[in-house]
Amino acid sequence: MLSINNLHASIEGKSILNGINLEIKPGEVHAIMGPNGAGKSTLSAVLAGRAEYEVTGGTVDFLGNNLLDLSPENRAREGLFLAFQYPVEIPGVSSTNFLKTAINEKRKYHGQDPMEATDFLKFMRSKMEEMEMDKSLTSRSLNEGFSGGEKKRNEVFQMAMLEPKLCIMDETDSGLDIDALRLVSQGVNKLRDGERSFLVITHYQRLLDYIVPDFVHVLYKGRIVKSGDASLAKELEIKGYDWIKQEVEAAI
Amino acid sequence: MSLSEQISSDFNLYAKQAIKDEFFELRQNAFAQFEKNGLPTTKNEEWKYTNLRKISEQNFTTSCTSSLDAKSLLDAGILNKIECNKIVFVNGCLFPDLSVWLEDDADIICCSIAEARIKYKDKFMAHFGKYAKIEEGLNAMNTSLLSDGAFVFVPKGKHMKFPVMISNITDAKEQGILQQPRNLIVIEKSASATIVENYVAIGNHPSFTNVVNEIFVDENATLEHYKVQRAKGETYHNNYTQIFQNGHTNINQVTLTLDGQWVRNNLHFYMNGENCNSLLYGLYIPDGHQFVDNHSRVDHAKPNCFSDEKYKGILKDQSTAVFNGKIMVHLDAQKTNAYQRNQNILLSNEATVNTKPQLEIFADDVKCTHGATIGQLDEEPMFYLRSRGISENEARKLLLNAFADDIAEKIKIPELVEILEAEIERKL
Repeated sequence: MLSINNLHASIEGKSILNGINLEIKPGEVHAIMGPNGAGKSTLSAVLAGRAEYEVTGGTVDFLGNNLLDLSPENRAREGLFLAFQYPVEIPGVSSTNFLKTAINEKRKYHGQDPMEATDFLKFMRSKMEEMEMDKSLTSRSLNEGFSGGEKKRNEVFQMAMLEPKLCIMDETDSGLDIDALRLVSQGVNKLRDGERSFLVITHYQRLLDYIVPDFVHVLYKGRIVKSGDASLAKELEIKGYDWIKQEVEAAI
Repeated sequence: MSLSEQISSDFNLYAKQAIKDEFFELRQNAFAQFEKNGLPTTKNEEWKYTNLRKISEQNFTTSCTSSLDAKSLLDAGILNKIECNKIVFVNGCLFPDLSVWLEDDADIICCSIAEARIKYKDKFMAHFGKYAKIEEGLNAMNTSLLSDGAFVFVPKGKHMKFPVMISNITDAKEQGILQQPRNLIVIEKSASATIVENYVAIGNHPSFTNVVNEIFVDENATLEHYKVQRAKGETYHNNYTQIFQNGHTNINQVTLTLDGQWVRNNLHFYMNGENCNSLLYGLYIPDGHQFVDNHSRVDHAKPNCFSDEKYKGILKDQSTAVFNGKIMVHLDAQKTNAYQRNQNILLSNEATVNTKPQLEIFADDVKCTHGATIGQLDEEPMFYLRSRGISENEARKLLLNAFADDIAEKIKIPELVEILEAEIERKL
């Protein structure tokens, strides 16, 4: 589904990603962990298409497309979804109108007619029920005045509505208490259907207790320096990142 | 003939045949002031960015005649779409065929100034000319040679069931038009009313509309006042609105400027009692070479009053906007709460904004803030929307509509808001 090959990226001339290689197959859940400043958020930003990052080398293939050639909106329309670490508050834009526009823009891109208003509302209601969202969401402005937990749950709800093929979750656990973390994870697990893939970016292991990954990768100084299964995350939780840093430094 | 010469000659004609009563005296005084001060120039601080030259050099005709029938006038306005009381003026003159009156309370008055100054002389003269200052050149010009306008009088304790829409239609199909609408609104104690000023124009000749509104709101009364400027074409429009409010009054004022080649709004609140609540909201979306100037002044003359002012602008093409908001907190006005914001989004490199939020505070126990911003649309919300599959263009539209609707929604007539939101979308 996603194939990252020797990806290099920099911001304001400073190199952050120094040759990332990663292969994600349909239905797989990959976790990327790493200390602060390792390049975790840069990786998600580059994949989503943030303009301030410059890709200086490598390729990214997403379902047969050269991902790096696509605009952010076309990446989304092809089935990529980024759950933001800090979802943006947009006063005056209702969640309903926002989701309807997003869904219909995607349909247009794929040559489909826009969804009828009543069909859309029915679809939205069923997804809200499934994801256990509060009814007041529909009339509220997008993320405006939402608590940290509500914002993250709303990201997962958008995911359910837009039905992406690959979800990138950027530090979704940051700022969440344990109850909110459980709710958000439950939502994500509902969306695991054996086809949809996930790239979960996190600093801490605790999120991975709820969203159990198939693979765990450790990012350090812009490269993946270690990969393993879910047990690697547990090991990191106990031993911290220092032993990996030492291993890397020793190898150099 | 320049505009000033035309006013002199017109006034002399009028003076010859006028009945020399109190009403005439007021106008004669105003004319003397006009002769003395003339039209404001850019040397005047309040007119620094606003040039009247194009207007003062034009040849306009003062004429009631309109070749248009009621049907086409209806279509030109938004008159048939909203259920409300209607009083309609075409080129400054009453057009009775389009008037609609829905109130069943006979004590509530709505008529033309021409009728009011005879039929309701005492009520009318008790307020006429008391609030608008003739030191202002364009006010003096209006007072000396006003066309006509609406007189709305809501007696003590009465609540109007429907809004009053005062529509001014400029018909500049045949010739350049000068009109000077003059409205007087009196809301007595504990009464309430909603007033909509609606300006539209047809035809390609230039026109100058010089409006003066005097509004008196007595204790415990409530006023909703909306001004909607949709006069397309080569229209020049100056509007001076003086609101004089006594204690415990609530006023919500919204000014929407969508069309018009040259628009200057002067809005002045004078809070003459304690516990007044005044809200001033404005939106302007100029494009092409449009020029829009919003000047406002809020006088906090007494303690414990609240005012909140928010003006927003979206500028396109080579358009220009001016915002000048002055909050004056008098020595007596302790415990004043006054807020003022002016936010501008520039969509073009060639658009210009001159903004000047001002606070003058003479009391020592007050809470006041003011501020102005000029910028582009924020990157973060844009990226967020695009990352959900929404194109750059659609994302911009969503964000700009949200920015503008925030002000449009301050209008409490849902049918009107709906019409205006569609108009806003057209402009964006």
